[in-house]
Formats: sequence, C-alpha cells, structure tokens
Amino acid sequence: MELRNKRWSEQEFYAMREEVLQQWPTGREVDFGEAVKYHESIPAKRHFAKRLVKAKKNGETLTQPRAGVALIQEHINLLNFLSQEGEADLLPTTIDSYTRQNQYKEAQNGIDESRRAGRSLLNGFPAVNHGVEGVRKVVESVNAPLQVRHGTPDARLLTEITLAGGFTAYEGGGISYNIPYAKNVSLEKTILDWQYCDRLVGLYAEHGVEINREPFGPLTGTLVPPSVSHAVAIIEGMLAAEQGVKNITLGYGQCGNLIQDVAAIKALEQLADEYFRENGYPDCVLTTVFHQWMGGFPQDEAKAFAVISWGAAAAALAKATKVIVKTPHEALGIPTKEANAQGLKTTKQLINMLRDQMFPITKDVEDEIAIIKAETRCLLNKVFELGQGDCAIGAVRAFQAGVLDVPFAPSKYNLNKILPARDNQGAVRLFDTGNLPFTPDIIDFHQQKMAERGKAEGRNPSFQMVIDDIYAISHGRLVGRPR
Amino acid sequence: MEENKVKVVLGVIGADCHAVGNRILEYAIAEAGLEVVNLGVLVPQTEFVNAAIETDAKAILVASLYGHGEIDCRGLRALCEEAGIADILLYVGGNLVVGKTDFTAVEQKFTAMGYDRVYAPGTLPDQVIADLKGDLKQRGLLCE
Repeated sequence: MELRNKRWSEQEFYAMREEVLQQWPTGREVDFGEAVKYHESIPAKRHFAKRLVKAKKNGETLTQPRAGVALIQEHINLLNFLSQEGEADLLPTTIDSYTRQNQYKEAQNGIDESRRAGRSLLNGFPAVNHGVEGVRKVVESVNAPLQVRHGTPDARLLTEITLAGGFTAYEGGGISYNIPYAKNVSLEKTILDWQYCDRLVGLYAEHGVEINREPFGPLTGTLVPPSVSHAVAIIEGMLAAEQGVKNITLGYGQCGNLIQDVAAIKALEQLADEYFRENGYPDCVLTTVFHQWMGGFPQDEAKAFAVISWGAAAAALAKATKVIVKTPHEALGIPTKEANAQGLKTTKQLINMLRDQMFPITKDVEDEIAIIKAETRCLLNKVFELGQGDCAIGAVRAFQAGVLDVPFAPSKYNLNKILPARDNQGAVRLFDTGNLPFTPDIIDFHQQKMAERGKAEGRNPSFQMVIDDIYAISHGRLVGRPR
Repeated sequence: MEENKVKVVLGVIGADCHAVGNRILEYAIAEAGLEVVNLGVLVPQTEFVNAAIETDAKAILVASLYGHGEIDCRGLRALCEEAGIADILLYVGGNLVVGKTDFTAVEQKFTAMGYDRVYAPGTLPDQVIADLKGDLKQRGLLCE
C-alpha cells in the first residue's frame, strides 16, 4: 500500500485486518460488532475521552501513573492500589517490551516464569497473550478510565485486542513509537501500521464508541526541544484525525525550566488548534498531557520527590489536562506499587495546592511561546513542502533530510545530527541545529544562548556539555555545570 | 595506529531500546582509546557473540535498562563457550531486574550467570573504563 495521508477505504482496512487477526491465536477472539456492544455497557465514568473533556472544561489536571505486570490478578491488584491508595484519576496498562516487539512467544515465557517465580519477570502487561477475555477481566475489575501505554512500532494486533477488550484510550503513533522505540523499521511501515490503528479507532467512533488517542509526546525523553516534539505531535494528531479519530491528547515532556515548560504547553494548544482547523479537522477535541521529567533521576528518594514535585507544579501551572507521574524508584527501574502511589500522591498534593493559582503570562513567557511557535512552524511548513501538501509523505522525507530530527533516538531512520543542551537558565536549546530548517534569526538565537552559557562556565559549548546536562538532574541540579 | 586498538563490543540486549546511555558509553570508551563495536539497541545474544568473533573483540559490554535483564542475559556465557570465546570478558550493567532489589543479590545472580563485572544503576562510564583497562592489562591484552 502506498503511503499518503488519506482515510483508508473499507476494502483496504478489511484486507489488512484478516492478516492482522491471524498474527497470534488470541486474534480470533476479536469480534468488532460484539466489541461495540461491550463498549456500550461500560459506564460513562470509565470513559477516558469523556473524563478528559470534563477536566478541560473545569480546568483540572488529572493524574495518571504508568504500571503493568505479567499476570492478570496481580495487574488488577496493582491498578486498584494506584487508584485507591495513589488517588490516580486515570489508569494505565503499560505493555511489556516483548509484546512491543511482537515477540509473543517470549512474552508467554515471561508469563510462565512469572507464575513459577511468584513475581513479575515482565516489565508490563502482555495483553495480546492474555487475549480479549483476559483484558476484559482487568477492565471489569477497576473503576477508572483505562489507557493502553506502550512503545510498539507495529501495534495493530495489540490495538484490536485491547480495544475489543474495553480499553477507552490508546497511546502511540507511527513516528513517536518508531523513532524512539525501533532500530530498523522504516517510517513508511510504522505510519501505515498506525493508520490501521487510527482507522480502527475511527470505526469505533462511527459506531458511537469514542476512544481517546494520544501520540507519545516526549519521544526519547532526553533534552528534546519543544518545537521538535510539537511538530511530531501535531503531525501524528492530524494523521489520526484523518482516519476518523475525534478525541486526541497531545503531549510534551518536561524540560525543567518553568517558563519554557509553561510556554510549551500554551504553544502546543495554540498551534494544534490552528493546524487542525486549517487542515480540515475542526471537530477534533484536543487536550494536553504533560510528562514529568523523562530523563535520568536521582537515586535518593527525597531528591526524586523534588523532581516529581517540580513536574507536578509545571503541569498544574501550565494547566495541562493530565500529567503522567514518575516515582521515587525511577533511577532504579520499575517501581513497587507503594513507590508508584507515593509519586501520585505527591503530584496530587501539588496540583490541588496550585489549582487556583494562575501563572502570569509575562514578557518572558510570551517570548518563549513565540519562539516555540516560530520554530514549530518552520518544521511543519517544510514537512508539508517536502510532502507536496501531504504530511505523511512529508514526515518520511523530513526524517530522511534531518528536517525532523530527534536527539538520541535509536532508529537508523533518524539523522541524529542535532545536539541539544541547556542555556544558562536551564531551558533546552540547540548547541547544533543540524539540518532543522530554522530561519537565520532562530539559529542565531540558539547560538547566542549557548555562547552565553559557555561564557558563564568559562568553556566552549561541546559534546561534554551535552553529557553533563544528561546527567545533571540525577546529580542534583538542572544545568550540567563543569564539575 | 587504529588497527592496534583493543576492540570491545557494546550493546543493549533483548527487546530493550534505551539508546541514550549507549551513545554516551560509546563516546566515553572511544575517548579512552579503545575501539567500540557498538551494536546499539535491541541486540540478541547471538549478535553479541558473532560481533565479538568477527572483530576479535576482547570484551562484551551488555546493558539492560528495562527490567528483563534476568531473562535476556541468562546463557550468554554458555553461548560464548560454544562459539570458542569462552574467556572473553563479559560485563553487564543497568537496571537489571524488575523492581527495586538489593544490589548484592543482583550482583550474585549475574556473577553466577558468568558475568565478570556487574554494575549497579547510576554507574558512570569512568568506572567501567577504569575496570576495563585494569582487566585487559591483567590479561596482557592492553599495554601500560
């Protein structure tokens, strides 16, 4: 099939569907008509999309953890603990990494070993192996909206099974679940595979079942400049909308400088509204998600709580619709349920304390919004130009040319030419703008910001500065000053 | 002379795609004067062994960040033995198991699997490089 940003025909979708449902035996359990009826029986308070719309209207910021284990009952216990003890507003089901790579045999082995060991040897919930029936056990045993969170380049079967199983929200996208999550998979393939997932969500929508979609905002989570992740988020949002998705949450990962973080969420909302309206998707409901710091964390739990709190504050002051919460065990791997609940409660306390406070849109914030918007427009204009008006084709060509470039991504389809670093106030800038199609003014702006920091530190900006910034937060500060 | 540099194989094992630390380790080890054969992320055990044989590497540095390390790392030493590189240095590091665990127990588990050195989360490249140089010298593979 040839890639373009156009809604799939029924014939195209059903031809592929036959193949997808045969990828693993549990695919046979999927029955679309029956799944629509099942969704109709899910009470409104467990509808993810409805909860987000209500939060946006009321100016709330909802909390959501990441969590998933190998076995069904343990997973139910984990989610209920996070809901009751952690006071989470929204619940996840994080999928294990074998399933993300379509390695269902390895996932089965992980399930079997976890049963024998009496603890989870998988880093998430293997939903394909558990099948529609297993997924529904989870859906029926928790009392909050549920979203699938993963990192799967080819998620077609996973989408079929989890949506038929009753999940009402689904994370991922053809760019954001390729470039940071794969090494050798072409963007043409992942964008096509995700058009399939989006078309399925579109089909549910046409049958009256609204499912929320969320492109993965933070990408590699490591010093990603806001304009780079915004450009990807807006493209993926439009790709989803074209396939009939009506409820979309666009995301951004905390950089750490409060002014930049607040400005980034404001800029994302404004740009997305504009691009969706101008490209023929005015009826899509848009909300935002703010991810607490995705890079390295301090090992010391008290210090980790400070990082979590700062992310909670930024999310609340930026008025993001929801915040994805980190835990005090972040530096050491997958958290216990208790640690996960602590991160949630810390965040909720901050959000509740800040909910009546407005962050003033000062000149600094306005300038930052303006620069993020100007940069994002440079990227998106070039994407449309390269695709001759088609943002799917344009995205593929943009990555080839380094017009879109994600720092520290594992994919060979990413040029890896840009290098980010913090400026003297800790905002994420570009020490090397690579092939990003920025105007000379914007390139000068970044060079000036880097020179200012270099002068303050008595050293020239170099790769060492980038490394120092990557380790900085885990070593106790935001900017990686010379040791 | 480039050809005289000792080679080490580096990669992130299994279905893991954490790329940032891998890039930094590659940079730091190369800066320290060793040649890095970096296989990147999502590397199966056989690819580590094949790369080590093809490049005559003296060490394999395995990283696992995502919690499946226990399943993924098991059997690598045996695979090296079968392939005729039984004595190659095997290092492993990262977030090796699911959940917060006492590191002494993790170290014992991975040492029993045949790894020469096991690193706790948060270890800096400098320490790995110092150990690597020391171990290579002790084996007469690296000059002072």
